[in-house]
This record gives sequence, C-alpha cells and structure tokens, in this order.
Amino acid sequence: MQYVKKDLGSYKLHMIKTNKFKTIKTRVCFRRPIKKSEITMRNILCNMFTQSSKKYQTKRDLAIKSQDLYAATIASSNSRLGNYMNTEITLTVLNDKYTEENNFKDSLEFLSDVIYNPNVEGNKFDDEPLEIVKANAKTALAGLKEDSNLYSVIRLLENMDEDSPISYRGVGYLEDLEKINGSNLYTYYKKVLDKDLMDIFIIGNIDFVETEELIRNYFPIKTFKKQRAKYLIEQGKNRIRKKTIIEKEENNQSKLAIGCRVIGLSEYERNYPLTLYNIILGAGDDSKLFREVREKNSLCYYIHSVPNKLDNLILIRAGIDKENIKKTVDVVEQQINLMRRGKFSEEDLNTAKEYFNTALDNITESEASIIDAYYMMELLGIDDIETRRSKMAKVTVEEIVRVAKKVKIDTIYCLEGTNQ
Amino acid sequence: MKEISLKGLDQNCFIETLKNGLEIIMIPYKDKKNYYMTYATRYGSEINSFVPKGEKKMTSFPNGIAHFLEHKMFEQENGEDPFTFFSKSGTGANASTSFNSTQYICYGTKEFEQNLKFLLNYVNEPYFTDENVEKEKGIIKEEIKMYDDIPESVLENKLREMIYQTSPRKYDIAGTTEDIDQITKEDLYRCYHTFYQPSNMFLIIAGNFDPHTALQIIEEEVGSIESDSTNIKIKDYKEPKSVCKKEEELSINIKVPKIGLGYKFSKESLGIKDELELDLYLVMLTTLLFGSASLFREEARSRHLMTNFYNEWDTIKDYKTLMIFSETENPDLLIGEVEKTLQNIEITVEDVERIKKVWIANEVKMIDYVDSTISNIYDDMIRYHKVIDNKIELIRKLNKRKLDHLISNMKFTNRSKIIILPKKIITKEQ
Repeated sequence: MQYVKKDLGSYKLHMIKTNKFKTIKTRVCFRRPIKKSEITMRNILCNMFTQSSKKYQTKRDLAIKSQDLYAATIASSNSRLGNYMNTEITLTVLNDKYTEENNFKDSLEFLSDVIYNPNVEGNKFDDEPLEIVKANAKTALAGLKEDSNLYSVIRLLENMDEDSPISYRGVGYLEDLEKINGSNLYTYYKKVLDKDLMDIFIIGNIDFVETEELIRNYFPIKTFKKQRAKYLIEQGKNRIRKKTIIEKEENNQSKLAIGCRVIGLSEYERNYPLTLYNIILGAGDDSKLFREVREKNSLCYYIHSVPNKLDNLILIRAGIDKENIKKTVDVVEQQINLMRRGKFSEEDLNTAKEYFNTALDNITESEASIIDAYYMMELLGIDDIETRRSKMAKVTVEEIVRVAKKVKIDTIYCLEGTNQ
Repeated sequence: MKEISLKGLDQNCFIETLKNGLEIIMIPYKDKKNYYMTYATRYGSEINSFVPKGEKKMTSFPNGIAHFLEHKMFEQENGEDPFTFFSKSGTGANASTSFNSTQYICYGTKEFEQNLKFLLNYVNEPYFTDENVEKEKGIIKEEIKMYDDIPESVLENKLREMIYQTSPRKYDIAGTTEDIDQITKEDLYRCYHTFYQPSNMFLIIAGNFDPHTALQIIEEEVGSIESDSTNIKIKDYKEPKSVCKKEEELSINIKVPKIGLGYKFSKESLGIKDELELDLYLVMLTTLLFGSASLFREEARSRHLMTNFYNEWDTIKDYKTLMIFSETENPDLLIGEVEKTLQNIEITVEDVERIKKVWIANEVKMIDYVDSTISNIYDDMIRYHKVIDNKIELIRKLNKRKLDHLISNMKFTNRSKIIILPKKIITKEQ
C-alpha cells in the first residue's frame, strides 16, 4: 500500500494505491464548525446531492446513470466530529479492468457533476426535488421515537448538557426544516463550497499521476479556506451528584442509557488507555458488563459501552425490563468502581490488546476503513496503524487505572417501557 | 478435495465431503489478513415437528426452540466459554438462527488453527442443565421484547402470520415469551441430537488460511463422529394455496403508518422448474418494478407517497411469496399504486440488460469482502444445496422472453394486506 498526499491549495488530495480491491473508492469530505441552527439545512443539502442534479434531474435518472456505469454508487452522509459537522460524498466503482476503458473517468465526472452542478435555476434549488427531500426528512423526524434505542441516547445527551454540541440532534429539528427553501439552501450550498475545509481521498489500484490529473480536472477549486476551531469538545464539569431521568413510552422494553464524563485526559490516554479501558469494561465479546449484567444476572440481551473520544464521553446502553432498572444500574456502577480500583487482571488487559490488534488488522481489509484511518490522521494527527500497534502494546494496568479514575457517571437516563 | 474456480471472479474454491457427510467449502484468499468461518446446520425455527433421533413418534416442540438451542450451545461443561476463548486471540464470535438454518461463526486475523478446532468442538459438545436453561430465559425474553419494539419487525412477523396457514413460517424465529417458558433441557438435547449431525451440517471458511491444513484439522475433529440424518422425518405441513388472512388493520405505538402486502404463488404455477433460475427471474422482476430505477418509485417519490419502501421474496417448500413493505402517510393511495404496477407490467429489453450488468458488477464487488462471500455461499448452500460457481454465466443468460413468460403465469390476486396505524391518543378516564 502506497500513500501520497498533495496540497492542491483549496483542498488536500490523498491517494492510496493498493491492489487488494477490485473497486476504486473516491470520497469527498467537507467540514465546518458545528452550529445547531445549520444541522437540518446541512442534512437537506446532503440528501439533495443524491436526489437531483442539473443533468440528472430525478433520483431515477441518477439511478440509471449509476447503473450504466457498471453499478457505480454515490452515497452521501453527515456526521458530527467533535465540534465539526462533516459531510462525505463517496463514489464506489469497479476498476476499469472489470468494466471498460474510461468507466472510472466517467464515474468521476458523474461525481463532480453531482456536487458542482446541482439542480439550480436563478440562484435557487428546484422546488420539486427539494420538496421530496423535505418530506422525507419530516417523516424521519416524526418517526424519531420509533427507534427507541436512538431516541434514548438523544435524550441522555440532551440531559447531560443541553448547551454543548454533544446534545445536538443529528437528525435535525422540525422548526428549522420548515424554514428551508430553494434560495436559502442555495446560499448555504455556496457557503459550504467556498468556506468548508475539504479533503479528497482515492483508494484502489490507481496510477498516481493519472489520478491527480483527473482530480485536478474534475475538482478545479480555487478558493482559499481557513478555519480554526478545535475538534475536541470542551470537556465540561463533573456533577456533584449524578442526574437520573426516567421518561415513559409505551414500549415492551426499557432502554437504559448511561453517560459518563472522562475529564482531564491526555492525548495519549485518549487514544490508548481509554480504548483498552472501554474494551475491558463493555466493548469486547467477553467484557465485564456482558459477563455480569447479561451472563450472570440475565438482565439483558445486549449491553455495551462506546467511547465518544472527541466528546470526552463513554456511553453505556442496554435493553432491560422495567422491573430491573435499579438492579442493572447497580451492577454497572459496581463494575465501573471495580475498574477504578484496578480489579481486573493482566489477562483482561492482554485480551483487550488482542482485540485492539485485530481491529487494527481489519482496517486494511476494507477501502472505507483505510480512508477513515487516513482521515483521522489528517484531522486529529493521530498515529499511523503500526505506531498505534506498538504504543498500544506497551499500555500498563496502572495507566488504565489512571484513566478509570477519571470516568464518572454523569447522567442515568431510562426510557421506561410501560407495556405489560 | 476438489478445486473449482468461481468463474469471472479470479477466485478458487475447494470442496470436500467427509465420509460422515459433513460438507466443507473453503475459499482461500491470497492477499487477506483476515478469515471468517461458519459452521452450520440445516435446522431452524420452522422445523419444530419431527421424529427425534432414536424415537418413533412425531413430536412437536415449542416455537423458538432452535434459537434457544443456539444460545445454549455457548455453554461448555469443562471447557472454556467460547466468547472468552476466542477473545484471547482478538477473535470475534457470534451465532444466528433463521427459519431453516442455524450458524456459528468466528472471524479474526490470528490463531486460525486453534480457533477452527475450538469452533468445531464447542458446537459438537452440548451441555445443558436445568439451571443454565432457566438462566437463559431472562436473556431471550429481553431479545424478544427488543424486536417487539421494532416496528418493521412487528410488520414482517404479522404479514407472515397472515400469509401462511399451516407452515411454521408464520411464527417468529425466537418464539413468544410463553413458548420460551416451556423449553426444557431434555427438549434441547432431542433437537440437538437429531439435527446437529455432520451429515446435516456444513462448514464454510474464507480468507487467510491454508485449505490443506484446515481439512486435516476438520478430519481430526469431526471425521470420527458418526452421523445419519438421511431418515429424519420432518412433518409435512401441506400448506394450502390461499393466504390465511386477507386483510388486517392494527394500531400500535408508532408515529408513521406502515403497510405490508404479501402475494403468494405456488411454485408449480410459475412454470420455471429450476429453483435458482426461478429466483433470478423473480428478483429481476421486482427489481425492475420496484428498484431504484423503477418508474413506480419515481412516481411514488414525487407524490410523497412513501419512505423506506422495500420488498423481498419469501420461499417455503412449495411456495414463493412476494412481500412488500413501506412507511407511508397515505396507505390506501400507496397500495393502489402498487396494485396498478402489478396489473400493468411492461418491461423493455434495455431494462433487463441494465439489471444484468448491475448484478454482474455486484458479484465482482462482493468477492473483495470475505464476509459477503461467505454469506453469499451460505445462502446458496441453504437454498440450492451447492456452491454456484457460474452465477455470472447464469445472469448473462437471463432474457426478456423467459421473463415475459413468467409474468404471464403470475396473477397477483392471492394477497394478504396489513396496515399498521399509530395509536389514537387515549384520554384518561375514571
């Protein structure tokens, strides 16, 4: 695998050559500091890319064009990366070896078209596709509670700190949706193109010189961009007393979501001991929470913990019976306390390291995860895969206990299911 | 051991059947770090009335028992817990139960040989006690409740219940909490001994490993296990032709209405004998009618008629059922559009050729990923009882003439229809 990075002025081009895959993946990333009021607008824009363009006005036209390019796919998605909103538009297409000459080139042209040639007339997006995208967004917002898992995490984060970006709803807000029209969306679109930081990644069996030329040709952007905001979320404060919130919903199962703050982590602690801590506590197949809550006490079918590193948080989730809310919380707290007191073995740590190792091995088995890894290196300056492997191998029990002492339960949220 | 090439995909595949009947399929990759393996039995939730091994009487078991058994296989008498064992080498493990199969998987990048050995051993060594069976009930009940809160899952289960009259396909894979309460360790052993025999099982491995070493390990671990599943008597449910229930409307705790439609066809009425060929044409048809490039979708979209529309073919012994699901603010209008589409099918040669191109491209894309390759071959083994090594060739042969003929045999009248609406707000009385 060879990697080349080029600064093309208004964006960076990252090219990765590997012959492990039969496809070529191209990802265009845009990002800017997050604003609550822009989330809904950005979601609509993100979906407009794959709904309509000047040349391919309907989603059907876009689908037929994709199919003609040997099932090339273009997908777009939004996410929050700490203090930033991130939009990714990804083209996946078979290498010309399996299709025909110029199929990749034509696909890149298609991608460029989707991004730079939107269905706009007189400085405003066409109403028809926009109304379709808005209607879909409206249904998604109306149906938010149907996904009780997602909904419980949203409510947890809102209860933890309603002013922090951690609590912003990724799906957006109905009141913002209603304000969106063709012209303000176009203004926002121009702002994204002109001001957002941008990276382009291409991975596959490619020729660096040819590919760079193609990209320069299809993405000829000249604006100068500069934005300074930290990726890491402000770490907030520990509560003196834990906050407990119970809300009710007519469901069969109760959804427990526990938010822990982890304040005062060093960069090293964030990337290594914290990851291993979390694997031992609740991410591995053989984690403490899985063993104690599920296997020993039969309280749930699933329980796991996830570190939101950029947010200085660990989130724990489980689906339980409403009669067992207190009991489950007690067992979880007990496990967090045991970790703090260093009550885990050298063997637990070794197992966690093996788990980490496999995750690192698996990065190179998919084009998408290779791109993700390089993107995080670019954004956050984290170590490359092999450096990560060797640093992780050296983490000690003491270092994990030091992190464990910083993990504090902040808020316990439960969406109680009231069905009998 | 036979070596075959998966045509058009630059990939070879090794196939072997042990003396006791275990089928082994191995796909070694040259440039992968990871591997993935699945050990499976042709036994799932809908096989719940049969003559247990060594017995004479046809016996019915509680629904959900195959899935319960899958959970309990992770229990080991003296040995190590599988999750703990696999975790030590950073290897993932899992298992899943479908209507007609159960599989145990592990995937990792290290310790291939010992993990293969362990996988075979733990699935071959059941250990059930009254205590560990009881303990699992709480866990499985939470799993059932989790699915009961997912509206799509309720919708799909409900529609199957309406389509089938006697086939156990009408029951949820996990059973109900009441079913679970009836399950005993004795039942579990009877099911286990009947269906977890090498001749009723197969093993698929793909990724970074040496097939000769693997075969040697498999021979050592499983080769000496005796097996005879040729005479397992499973109840024939004699599913009648018509759907069980035509219409139903119900209200649950959702926010956006949902619909489900099921069109049931007897296989013999469709006129294509070969199961694989039939499946390809049926999926071709629904891709053309309802896929991303279909006129139906375009129109329904522009009229804001639906979100989250999807369809699938459900297969049981003598039947194929087209199941269509969607979320919609306007159930009647959307159902009307679906019906109109099914009554006026028009297909062009260009459309057929475009879909063929897409499918061939997707076959090539899929082979890059070890897990999708395994899941493809797994489906083939369950549906067609063999590895399909010439799928691209078969796709190339599909043609409009034959598709038209199939369409002329299809009457979309044997239908179940379900509409699920949000609950009305009930004001508190008393």
